[in-house]
Amino acid sequence: MSAAGMTKRAAPVLACIGLLVVWQVASLALKNDSFPTAIGAMRAIPDILGDRESLINILASLRRMAMGFGAAVLVSIPLGLLMGRSAAIAAFFNPLLMVIYPVPKAALMPIIMLWLGVGDITKTLVIFLGVSLPVIYHSFEGAKAVEEKMLWSGAAMGLSPVQRLVRIVLPAALPEILTGCRTGLVLALITMITSEMIARQSGAGNILFNALDMGQYETVFAMIIIVGAMGICLDAIFEKVRARLVRWSEPQFDMPLSFS
Amino acid sequence: MKARQNGRGSNDAPHGRESDSLSGRLLAKLMPLNPRASGTEGGMTVVSARSSEWVRPVTQQDPASAIIEIDRVSQVFKTSARKNHVALSDISLTIEEGAFVSILGPSGCGKSTLLYIVGGFVSPTSGAAKMKGQAITGPGPDRGPVFQEFALFPWKTVLGNVMYGPRQQGIRGTEAEAQSRALIEMVGLKGYENFYPKELSGGMKQRVALARTLAYHPEVLLMDEPFGALDAHTRTRLQNDLLNIWERDRKTVLFVTHSVDEAVFLSDKVVMMSKSPGRIRQVIDIDLPRPRRRNELLLDPRYQKYVVDIERMFDESDEAGAPA
Repeated sequence: MSAAGMTKRAAPVLACIGLLVVWQVASLALKNDSFPTAIGAMRAIPDILGDRESLINILASLRRMAMGFGAAVLVSIPLGLLMGRSAAIAAFFNPLLMVIYPVPKAALMPIIMLWLGVGDITKTLVIFLGVSLPVIYHSFEGAKAVEEKMLWSGAAMGLSPVQRLVRIVLPAALPEILTGCRTGLVLALITMITSEMIARQSGAGNILFNALDMGQYETVFAMIIIVGAMGICLDAIFEKVRARLVRWSEPQFDMPLSFS
Repeated sequence: MKARQNGRGSNDAPHGRESDSLSGRLLAKLMPLNPRASGTEGGMTVVSARSSEWVRPVTQQDPASAIIEIDRVSQVFKTSARKNHVALSDISLTIEEGAFVSILGPSGCGKSTLLYIVGGFVSPTSGAAKMKGQAITGPGPDRGPVFQEFALFPWKTVLGNVMYGPRQQGIRGTEAEAQSRALIEMVGLKGYENFYPKELSGGMKQRVALARTLAYHPEVLLMDEPFGALDAHTRTRLQNDLLNIWERDRKTVLFVTHSVDEAVFLSDKVVMMSKSPGRIRQVIDIDLPRPRRRNELLLDPRYQKYVVDIERMFDESDEAGAPA
């Protein structure tokens, strides 16, 4: 591997190490109880992950997140595609979505808690709402952009309207849909933690805020690192899957990007 | 060429479908550029809105049968709240089985719209189009479109695109694949079966689009300025290749173009259209020998005369100002 290639590979690692060094130095310099050192926070990570109770909490979080995300994707993609191909359906749903879009989903939690309690259903529903909008929006945009002539070509081959939606609009809009899903995935993580902050009963957010209440600042920072790492891993896995599914649409960079 | 084409026509159509429609045939392939469009009644006539200028008596000799009949089709689009744009006005046209017919006209004359109506992609505001006597109500595999924009399925490889139609028709995977590979070879893309559309040049994409349409064996090819987006060199090569492919099985082709050279080079018949509202100005039989070879044809005075005469007719209509 060339020197330039090595640098490129090492860059993210160096950036992380750099951040931790700055943290460590700043923490040592400030000497504040609520700002533990990087090393202290990292030491707390194995304690959390080794604790059965904590693991159950984190897994419960992930389960809710997966359910909310999955349900949102299953509902939002067909809805977005239909909106993109039918002016009537778009005219009906667009105003509704425009109203819901800017409302922070966490702001709806008190009402949902009132009606559905503080259990899994409430939290999953909030995650569902958070994920739905970007997925609907991107599916809608993707479906709208599908070339009419492509659909005509399919129609000439004898595809019915439903077949065209599933076998032409869906794959043609897939790159755009997956962009929405990727945004949705990050939003799922955010709404997951937020929902657990508000309805504190179980989950990763619950561990974090309990630790904060008890002044276990190393645990607080350790949880932030764990949640952050979860987000980075999920996003990386999703990106791998996405790139595989829409390889046909990716521009190819076989040209060297620099002159080095 | 005439004998060959006529012979071909009669082979394809064992007997004239309707005797009354045969009586109204336009033919008279005597001299190049005899303006002719018959205004007589009967399904097989070519009628322009201003056809009275061109009416001349014709005698029936050619027993080829009509495959597409366009009967008094008009198309009005709403451009804004108060303005109606008449894209097509009272078009009647008959296309014979096995004929290569070009629709030639300036941009905005509705020539593509006419093709979309035949394809069943657009419904005419009034009038009707028929395919083999059946009213066209929607797209179908008997009419295969090839668009200027290629409209390939970008998530499918070349092979996947070409196989799509046969698979949809219920042909088994292995058989569809074998047929498709043969077609890909025929359009000159052997070795590119596993490429994705974005990896191909414009000319190659259009070759794939042609193979994809040929793969489900449409009876009529509907080509909508298929070479319009290509550079001159590629365009010439594809014209030659299209002719070679066409001369093998002589499918009926309806070919929309704004290029006079292209129309004369490829067609048996050129339908000249005028702009706003789109009307048939004139129908010209191109009586040039087949198989046509570009290098021979370009030197042929008859070819040159067709091109010059058609160009002059378009110029005259421009000078005459706004068409009636």
